[in-house]
Amino acid sequence: MAQNASLMSGVPELLVLRLLSTQEMYGYELARAVRESTRQAISLGEGVLYPALHAMESRGFVKARRRTVSGRTRVYYAITPRGNRRLGELSGEWRRIAGGVRALLEGA
Amino acid sequence: MTTRRFEGLAQRLLRAGIAPRHVRRLIAELEAHFADLVAEQRSAGLSQADSETQATVRLGTDDVLIANILARPELRSWARQWPWLAFVVLPLLALPVQFVLSMLAAVGVLAFSTQILGMTALHPGAVPWVVAGLQAYGMWIAPMAAAGAACFLALRSGAPLAWPIVGSALIALLGAATNASFEWTPEVPRGALSAGIGLHFPDVGLISSLRAILTILTVLTPILWLRRRRRELSSLP
Repeated sequence: MAQNASLMSGVPELLVLRLLSTQEMYGYELARAVRESTRQAISLGEGVLYPALHAMESRGFVKARRRTVSGRTRVYYAITPRGNRRLGELSGEWRRIAGGVRALLEGA
Repeated sequence: MTTRRFEGLAQRLLRAGIAPRHVRRLIAELEAHFADLVAEQRSAGLSQADSETQATVRLGTDDVLIANILARPELRSWARQWPWLAFVVLPLLALPVQFVLSMLAAVGVLAFSTQILGMTALHPGAVPWVVAGLQAYGMWIAPMAAAGAACFLALRSGAPLAWPIVGSALIALLGAATNASFEWTPEVPRGALSAGIGLHFPDVGLISSLRAILTILTVLTPILWLRRRRRELSSLP
């Protein structure tokens, strides 16, 4: 059960790592991508993304770099090899849980 | 540069112990995000005021942001994560380091005076005074410097003063029990320097007790006064 609880709290981490696995992004881009790619089903408090990103950076899952685009300096995040491994773990856990829930719903 | 909108948030995060480098970047990112949200709302036809209101709702209030940031212990400054290390162990270690540095400085002064300036045992210039000054530093000032630095850093970062007070008391006791000896003697031809360091614990005499009390009073009196003053200022409307 504890594992499932941590999985739920790891949803923003899963979403962010999945999106960053395709391309590097800055915070506003990520928030928009989360909304669009989940068909608005998941809408994170947008400011909440940043502490999650900083924490992931501290754990070596993403790396940040400043880039100036059109005269504005933004912090872009990219996934690291360690982040890719973490994404694999989280995706596997999530698929297992989702499969269990689906099986329960279809059997009911 | 922090705009007025996020200035309060930055101060609250720093006081809560979030590492300054994280605070600076978080605020810069939130400012950029806020500007993007306002631009998005403006392009959808909202007024500036309505756009800013919507942007604030989407970004989250200060309380929500702070709660989420504080939920990440890895974003706290190292001094907040390990206060016993920052405000007790390291200042205690700084004490013998200062003694050793004082000794090295005395050796350096003597070497420079005799080999570069050509001073002799009969004409030592300021060497005896400098050596006496370094001994006074090691005995009286070094404990105050170590304890004062710990308390000042705690006060500046808004950390609770319990650990620095414990650290100051231990530094005062260790400093008082430590006997540093720097002695210059007019031995021909260039004079001689002897230096030593030792503990005379638990045989603590009147002078040692005075050193401990003086260290504690010198460090804690201004720090506690500053904290009280800061609290009074922050409670003003």
